[in-house]
Amino acid sequence: MSTENTRSTNTPADDRSLEDSVVGDGRGLWTLAFLAGLVAVVVGGAVARYLAVHVPEWTAEGSLAEIGAAVEYPVYAIAVGLALNGVLAAAGVRDRLAPGFRTEFFIKTGLVVLGATVVFSVIVRAAGPAILQGLLLISGVFGFTWWLAGRLGLDERLRALLASAVSICGVSAAIAAAGAVRARREQLAYTASLVIIFALPSIFVLPWLADLLGLSPAVTGAWLGGNIDTTAAVTAAGSIAGEEPLQIASIVKLTQNALIGIVAVGLTAWFAFKVDRTAGEKPRAIELWHRFPKFVLGFLAASVLATVFAEQASAARLEDFDATIKVFRDTFLTLAFVSIGLEFKVTSLREAGWKPVGVFAAATVFNILLALALASVLFAGFTLD
Amino acid sequence: MPDKPHTPADVDDAGRFALSEDWLATAVGLVIVVLAAAGVVTEGWIPL
Repeated sequence: MSTENTRSTNTPADDRSLEDSVVGDGRGLWTLAFLAGLVAVVVGGAVARYLAVHVPEWTAEGSLAEIGAAVEYPVYAIAVGLALNGVLAAAGVRDRLAPGFRTEFFIKTGLVVLGATVVFSVIVRAAGPAILQGLLLISGVFGFTWWLAGRLGLDERLRALLASAVSICGVSAAIAAAGAVRARREQLAYTASLVIIFALPSIFVLPWLADLLGLSPAVTGAWLGGNIDTTAAVTAAGSIAGEEPLQIASIVKLTQNALIGIVAVGLTAWFAFKVDRTAGEKPRAIELWHRFPKFVLGFLAASVLATVFAEQASAARLEDFDATIKVFRDTFLTLAFVSIGLEFKVTSLREAGWKPVGVFAAATVFNILLALALASVLFAGFTLD
Repeated sequence: MPDKPHTPADVDDAGRFALSEDWLATAVGLVIVVLAAAGVVTEGWIPL
């Protein structure tokens, strides 16, 4: 692979900062830097929540009333994360605090809690179209990305990482694929950077486009869940689009998350038999379980618990339960969105050269169009009632 | 960059940590749901 496909001019120190800031891997956990980074996220979250509650009040009387009322909490959280990112980078400490920016943990916890807001029968009804959409979308987008990256002569392992990230679930898929194909660490870090850089604008643009296209809440949710790469960004976009789109987007995205094991095992087999030709390394069935995102089970369990609870609790207890769950859900999601802002790093694009960026951009457009077509067909007429 | 296999321990670490983070997120999330159903934690626990 040519040097333009990775970074050629940065130093080993740059590598470390890029990796640590983009791919949380547990190194340096519970150190002072980790705790300081965590404090930065929590402070950012508190500021974002404060703004989300008070800006509508401050603007209620003026000409900005409509905008103040329309802006949802993910927008404040990401904006605060980006602002903090700039401040910490200017102070020269951003990369050192990066171990505390635990987007994946916050989003997964938020999604498990979110499971308690979704009636289990909705998950059962949505499972069929969600699985079908996931299978078609992953096959189509993975195939397109793999083909295009091959045409442009990208490294086999980078092809696998890019195709997995854009077709399944962003950073988590890239990590699973990296393990399956034994990618270089800088390829993983670079792919994760691309995911975040492309996901950020989609959080704001796609809900707006869904509204412009007049999509139903279910189709909007299925579209957002199907085409936005990273789970955190799907949740942010779903939150902006509304409660119903958020629930469907979560179900669709978690279905794609659950399919990651199949892709990882397929990649392991492909690289073992076709690329590396290491006959001794056959993929094992247990890998399906190892690669399965366990928080999906938590999401389902939370939905079952809440559904059983709703059948037995009084109306007042149920109202308190719903209010509590939504506050905790929004708190964890806010922390995840602040972390997204903190992780954003535009220099990563320059470091890699244009080919992987071009592949990722083309794959993203393909993903958006294919997901729109599939969601419009498979979720037409679907309602939460 | 040559296209040959690498086995960097840090990639494995990333995968392993992502998996354990999955279980941690599941445990924390379910504990919150159970405690909310039991009325132990309430909306007032989160300020603002």
